[in-house]
Amino acid sequence: MTRHTRLVSLLPLLAGTVLAAGCGSAAHQPGGPAAVPVRPPSLATSLVTATGTWAVAVMGGPAADHNNFWQIFVRPAATGRWRLATPPGVASNGGLVMASPGGQSVVAGFRPSQDLSFSPLATTDDNGAAWTPGLLDAALASVPDALAAAPDSGRLLALLASGEVQLSGPGGTGWATLATHRALAASAAGRACGLGRLTAAAFSPSGVPLLAGTCTHHPETAGIFAYTSGTWHLAGPTLPARYARQDISVLRLTTIGGAITALLAAGTGSATQLLAAWSTGDSGAPWALSPPLPLHGAKPTSISRGPGHTVAVVLAGNHAQALTGPAGTWQPLPALPPGTATLAPEPAGGWDALAVHSTKLTIWQLPPGHTVWTATQTISVPVQFGSSG
Amino acid sequence: MPGMNSGVNVNDPTVIAAFKAALLHQGVIALVIFCVLGVAWVTVRAWLPAAQAGGQDGLGGSAAGAVAEPSWRQLLRVGFGVLWVFDGILQAQPKMAIGLPSQVIEPSAASSPHWVQHVVNWAGTTWSYHPMQAGAAAVWIQIGIGIWLLAADRGGWSRLAGLVSVGWGLVVWVFGESFGGVFAPGLTWLFGAPGAVLIYAVAGALLALPERVWRDRRLGQAILSGLGLFLVGMAVLQAWPGRGFWQGSSHGHQGTLAGMTSDMAQTPQPHFMSALVNAFTRFDEAHGFAVNLFSVAALTLIGAAFLTGRRRLARPALIAFTVLCLADWVLIEDIGFFGGLGTDPNSMIPFILLAVSGYLALTPGTAPAVAKAEDDRPAAAAASWREQLRPASIRRSVAAAGFPAVVSLGALGLIILGAAPMAAAQASSHADPILAESIAGSSAPLNFPAKGFALTDQHGQPVSLASLHGKVVLLTFLDPVCTTDCPLIAQEFRAVGQLLGAASKQVELVAIVTNPIYHQVADVQAFDRAEQLTQVPNWLYLTGSVPQLRQVWRDYGISAEILPAGSMIGHQDIAYVIDRDGRVRQELNTDPGPGTTATKSSFAVLLTDAARQALRPS
Repeated sequence: MTRHTRLVSLLPLLAGTVLAAGCGSAAHQPGGPAAVPVRPPSLATSLVTATGTWAVAVMGGPAADHNNFWQIFVRPAATGRWRLATPPGVASNGGLVMASPGGQSVVAGFRPSQDLSFSPLATTDDNGAAWTPGLLDAALASVPDALAAAPDSGRLLALLASGEVQLSGPGGTGWATLATHRALAASAAGRACGLGRLTAAAFSPSGVPLLAGTCTHHPETAGIFAYTSGTWHLAGPTLPARYARQDISVLRLTTIGGAITALLAAGTGSATQLLAAWSTGDSGAPWALSPPLPLHGAKPTSISRGPGHTVAVVLAGNHAQALTGPAGTWQPLPALPPGTATLAPEPAGGWDALAVHSTKLTIWQLPPGHTVWTATQTISVPVQFGSSG
Repeated sequence: MPGMNSGVNVNDPTVIAAFKAALLHQGVIALVIFCVLGVAWVTVRAWLPAAQAGGQDGLGGSAAGAVAEPSWRQLLRVGFGVLWVFDGILQAQPKMAIGLPSQVIEPSAASSPHWVQHVVNWAGTTWSYHPMQAGAAAVWIQIGIGIWLLAADRGGWSRLAGLVSVGWGLVVWVFGESFGGVFAPGLTWLFGAPGAVLIYAVAGALLALPERVWRDRRLGQAILSGLGLFLVGMAVLQAWPGRGFWQGSSHGHQGTLAGMTSDMAQTPQPHFMSALVNAFTRFDEAHGFAVNLFSVAALTLIGAAFLTGRRRLARPALIAFTVLCLADWVLIEDIGFFGGLGTDPNSMIPFILLAVSGYLALTPGTAPAVAKAEDDRPAAAAASWREQLRPASIRRSVAAAGFPAVVSLGALGLIILGAAPMAAAQASSHADPILAESIAGSSAPLNFPAKGFALTDQHGQPVSLASLHGKVVLLTFLDPVCTTDCPLIAQEFRAVGQLLGAASKQVELVAIVTNPIYHQVADVQAFDRAEQLTQVPNWLYLTGSVPQLRQVWRDYGISAEILPAGSMIGHQDIAYVIDRDGRVRQELNTDPGPGTTATKSSFAVLLTDAARQALRPS
């Protein structure tokens, strides 16, 4: 083989390499979405205490996350008017969660953002007029029930982004690890459930720590765990047989007014159904189940609890459904005002829709029996664009 | 890509002024190099009689009775020599020092696979850490290679210039052009594939060939065949369905080629140039299929004609190729070097030079019928190398060195002039303080007594400024629950502790809380843990009651403002340098700017320098 022939014989290889490089770099075509369990809704929600109604919503600019600041609003029972009550001193662009031990006290937890890696806390006993700072030296999980406050004792329960669960001493100090996702999943209760991700933390009315998550082993009992006698055991509602072969996720778990309320999603994808469950006591207490709400693929974006057993769910596409209790049925609400972040219950029944447009919050009311939302109040929020970046 | 972007504005006046100053200083040194070499050469020729007789031209080259350089090689050498010089001048554009990694290298790598980005990111980070040295290195290395190619027409010096051209060309192709984008989608000859600098490297390899193959007709055939096969391959790629080249526009979106040209037209440039490119874009949008069909057909036919290696077919193909390249250069590649960050005139001119050289090498009449040159005999050459190491031989070689050898030596000096500072900078893992200076501005020297304070440290122990007497204090103000600047400044302070080394025992790194709400010892402890400051022995994070803190803030010109609606505390980013006697010697703006790895490192160096300055006896 001459030098020339050898050179020429290498050229197809070179050209082939170039072609292969070009052809091999075609864009990857991803497959269709897998049927995954419904995830917990956004942090936007509302909370009712003895002296007022609270709501969390995100406001600001759409351009970058660090210009979207989460805000807390309160409607004191005495005035009936909403006002801004975001605790000061910390950037809230990572998210805000709320919990109440009952009475008029509310604890807010900041999810860390940007270069902050732990969660400052703030507590108020006067409808947000003054906040007392606190601290959780870890990052709260991005779920609306990441923080829970025990009735009377002042202890806090925190579900962390790492999957760990920490319990504080009285007054929200002296945090210690109560559980980890790995340990809970390895426990007898966790194995029976086939525990996926943890989704919520709460206290029972008597102060027993509760955790909730996704069960993938299709047990009869939903994935709510109670911590008694030094062990975790399944304490969720027993589901009808028709849910026997479905994943069950707990989307919300809250305790207010001596009752635990859980919002469950059964199934995956467009076959998902939403169920509410109520219980008045600790482990072993009976649960009442609501009728199912077929979601038809709609994603719950916000879930709020009202007085008594009422529940309202905001679904993607400005739809909402409300439920009055175990004996009631899911009732569609009139089409929500555009930008509705969450629903908050009215003291006299009915719902307030909190609609966000950049820095403007509009309150729309739907009194009982009405079919039209009416704008009743507007709040301009002085968002400090660019203050976090 | 982390590290690629220093975050400093490409038009930053501080950096531009420093870059210009660096080029000016090195330019003076370059002139001195050439002057010294020139004087030395004239002197040697006057003093040593061998110089008058002519003879060996160093590195095996021949001066008298040497073989003439064939026209294909002359074209390649002079053409790429001019291109290297031109590219070097383009590298001297003011925006280049800061802008090249973030606005040239990073976009070119963005669509490439992860491993390519990883490789390119290393180079981009290196550049962004030392923008002055890297920018100047690119200027002098490329000008040096260009001058070398232009000056050395034959012999060892000339072949070595070709090899250096290959080496630097490959460096630029890999790190500057992300392998010419050959691993990225959208690869097309029309837009510069396989990367202009790869053609520089190919030309360099041809220039490095020994003289015995200069007149071999098969070399011309090999050049044209290689080019022909490449063009046919590019035609297949251009015709490949699903890559968006057959559509000028689809569903209101531009096709691949129209998208590329409309992006190019956005580059700042003379209006008539962008008008031409825009006109072509509109034409392609309307007749995308026809444009691609023409491109595929032209590349295939020209490539096939080159593949035959026959002059009769190669000549018209060469004319067509030249016209096609020029049209592509103007209408699609948009000349390539406008906008302040253009690094070269793109691939079409190098392609023309390569093709014409191949054609000339194919033509028998272009090579003079001269006997084999002396250095064509390998055994004799090997012997002459050993011979040349002897003092007498070296003296003879120096005396006989011709003008090309002297200029080549000067060009080598230019390359070293650029490469040496970059290599020295690369030895340090810390960024140039010029980045921090460009963000923070200048600080005037101060000299007044620092106001005292008595606060509590992160361990709950009382600390006062008086208790730190005898040590240099770097004092700053941080919010323990801040989400942006404060963690960055804390990391910079931690790096200062490491940079100071043994001297850190004489320096206290002190921060004072600037949050009137979150100011408990638990808050500063959480901050210290998050920023890994708990193991820094000379780190003190001080807090106190709100009245105590407010007094210190007043004394040091700090305002901690509680902002509404979920914003963090607003406060200034300032550091004070307090000397051993408790006197303020500097006030530094520590706003960390974009907080990139380069600027963080740069601030750490700036603060370290300030601390070291305060440690020196006044």
